[in-house]
Amino acid sequence: MPLYELGLILSPDLDSAERDAFVGELRALLGSQGANVVKEDVWGKRTLAYEIKHKREGFYLFWQFEGPGSTITPLEYRLRLSDQVLRFLTVNLDQELRRKRKFDVLRAQRKARPKPAAETAARVPGGEA
Amino acid sequence: MPKKKYYVKRKKVCKFTAEGIEYIDYKDLDLLRQFVPVSGKILPRRVSGTNPIYQRKLTRAVKRARLMALLPYIGE
Repeated sequence: MPLYELGLILSPDLDSAERDAFVGELRALLGSQGANVVKEDVWGKRTLAYEIKHKREGFYLFWQFEGPGSTITPLEYRLRLSDQVLRFLTVNLDQELRRKRKFDVLRAQRKARPKPAAETAARVPGGEA
Repeated sequence: MPKKKYYVKRKKVCKFTAEGIEYIDYKDLDLLRQFVPVSGKILPRRVSGTNPIYQRKLTRAVKRARLMALLPYIGE
């Protein structure tokens, strides 16, 4: 199951109870789709770089969750319907980290064989990329 | 005779290669701001010296940050 990152900007006018209710609803939605939130990052109220829906502030919330790809459609549908959400963005982190993981494996292999690693380093100064 | 101009050539290095940053997070504003002046434009590769692979990743990260209203589309 891929790892996704969801970024949310909620309306700043919500009080904390309303916000908790909405966030709880999203959590339940994710749970019903077989996804679970791995990491939560709440930035809180922050000034927006530009106005969205005539609002200068937004409540920022970031979630990392693991779940099947079929989670995304109902989740985004729900977010699009809501008036409380100013903006959202889902990113597939597995796709983003593919290159990093690939090189991590290569690096681990190179470490396991110290001698040829020194040769390649001498031939190509600066290494990969 | 006109005075000869001297320039000190500074070697440009790709920050991402040098520091081993492989995933550029759109939330990492301190990092992104180094490549986005107040004008809001993304610094070109010929100025920043970033490698092509990372320049593309950087561009994507900046555009995501703009969508999430973390960076402006149009600066000052």
